[in-house]
Amino acid sequence: MTEPHAHDDHHRTTTNAIPQFAMEKSALVMSSTGRGILDRAQVAGRALLLLWSAVLHVVEVKRSIPMLLRQIEFCGFGSLLVLALISGLTGMIMAVQTGIALEGYSQTDLLGGIIGVTFCRELGPIWAAVIILARVGAGMAAELGTMAVNDEIDALRAMSIDPVRYLVMPRILALAIIMPLLAAVSDFVGMLGGALIAKATFGTLITTFFESAKNSLAFLDVSSGLFKSFVFACLIGTIACDQGMNTTDGAEGVGRSTTKTVVLSIIFVLLMDLFLTSFVQLAMKRLLA
Amino acid sequence: MSDTPTRDPASVPEPVPAPVAAAPPGTSSGSSSLATKSPRGGWTRQELERASRLAPVPPDKQVLMRIRDLHKHFGHRHILRGIDIDVYKGETLVILGGSGSGKTTLIRHIMGMLRSDAGAVTVGDLNLNAATPEQMAGYRRRMGVVFQMAALLNSLTILENVGLPLVEVDRLPADQVRARVIKALKQVFLPAEEILQLKPADLSGGMRKRVGIARAIIQNPEIILYDEPTTGLDPVTVNGVNELTLELQKSLGVTSIVITHDLHAAFMIADRIAMLYKGRMIEVGDKDQIKASQHPVMHQMLTGSTKGPLTEGYTS
Repeated sequence: MTEPHAHDDHHRTTTNAIPQFAMEKSALVMSSTGRGILDRAQVAGRALLLLWSAVLHVVEVKRSIPMLLRQIEFCGFGSLLVLALISGLTGMIMAVQTGIALEGYSQTDLLGGIIGVTFCRELGPIWAAVIILARVGAGMAAELGTMAVNDEIDALRAMSIDPVRYLVMPRILALAIIMPLLAAVSDFVGMLGGALIAKATFGTLITTFFESAKNSLAFLDVSSGLFKSFVFACLIGTIACDQGMNTTDGAEGVGRSTTKTVVLSIIFVLLMDLFLTSFVQLAMKRLLA
Repeated sequence: MSDTPTRDPASVPEPVPAPVAAAPPGTSSGSSSLATKSPRGGWTRQELERASRLAPVPPDKQVLMRIRDLHKHFGHRHILRGIDIDVYKGETLVILGGSGSGKTTLIRHIMGMLRSDAGAVTVGDLNLNAATPEQMAGYRRRMGVVFQMAALLNSLTILENVGLPLVEVDRLPADQVRARVIKALKQVFLPAEEILQLKPADLSGGMRKRVGIARAIIQNPEIILYDEPTTGLDPVTVNGVNELTLELQKSLGVTSIVITHDLHAAFMIADRIAMLYKGRMIEVGDKDQIKASQHPVMHQMLTGSTKGPLTEGYTS
């Protein structure tokens, strides 16, 4: 007689417990998701304020010329070789892959146009951004992070030196100056790589290749690509400086900031690319209409 | 503490053979052994954490900085729980405290880098909580800070490091900066000409600390804050830094606030010592008053015993 009762009680308890458990779990998930969103919004807001503060300090750039030159050297010349190598190789690979497809239609003369437009619109700015965020962005975050955990940033504040003017503005400005130049180099070397392979593999004359590129490229293709790289530079610089300046917890924190800088920069560069590309396409459509 | 070589043994308290706790305030019972009775020596937690009463300002002293009912939370943690203390002009005030007592949080409030949740740090008429950026810049111009690990910028030379405030804030020409940097480096007994073009990484820990002090004094500050200036240094260098602090105090007549947990340093350089415990100033007094303190926390700090309220959470 007791067993069925015991079973009923157990069943009742279990059926009551499941919704209770589910409710607690879902509340936990919701609260942690909400907290996560709020935290990220706070970080984004903090980064935007940092960028705005750096923009306001650009008028004082004359006082930061030595630091700016040092950063330009670090960002630009150090990245040039690896960017040229990657862009050249990408141009070559594109020429082979596209050339094979075009050869069937005897249209290999169009290679220059295809590679030129692809590089100027997308690959040049993206490759420049990837190289800069991996090499320079991570380096900036690590350098500023180390300064933060060693009290060097506090020392600047204690001396009434604004760290945004002294450290952040020259870094973001150096990136904003150098990135469009790097993107232009990437565009040119990518096309050159493509032209060399087109000549060697498909017999396309180099002059024909660049003529095709010249005929296919519009001013907007080049300018939108350079503008994109300028925006990417501001984005990467802001993320790197924000993560670096807000580093805590010693060496472990520096590593965390560096990793976060690379991950966030890749995500936001691609999101911004999607946004800007859609915007440019829309603008082009309206212009042509 | 007794192992540390001292240059002025009379100023350092003799090691106490066995920790003896006083009766809690308000009781007339005699003392009992901390080791045999309890780590708190019969004091309740409330009595241990009770803030020391603010002493009246002596007639020959002038108050430079007032800290009143200072509170600070980080999340749910209540780090500063009502700090009340006056800093007198021209004195060296040493703030002692164990790890996690709130020393760094307090000095960051004094530096104007943190805003308190309640209470205020007031320097003259300037309430640091309500100061405008310009007022804060002016206040920091009157203050030099010596950081725990010197906090020199590794990418800059010693000349650039020490001269940084002169270049960036005072905007002095290069020849004047160089002359002032050499003078400041000589004041801290460093071979100025030899090290000007070196980077901080090329110097020893003690030399880096001295360069940090040179940077702190280069703008002729009224107040120098020292954040654990002797941490990580060998005993000889520790004494060197302490003597330098005393020397600067005499030659520049500055007000110094020194945050440390180094008792030897504290008794060597202090005019007054304040003990910070769990976010409150539990004892404030001159060296003799501190030596004679019956407070179990102060007692444990002075004897270096592993049993007592400072380590209660770890040893009980």
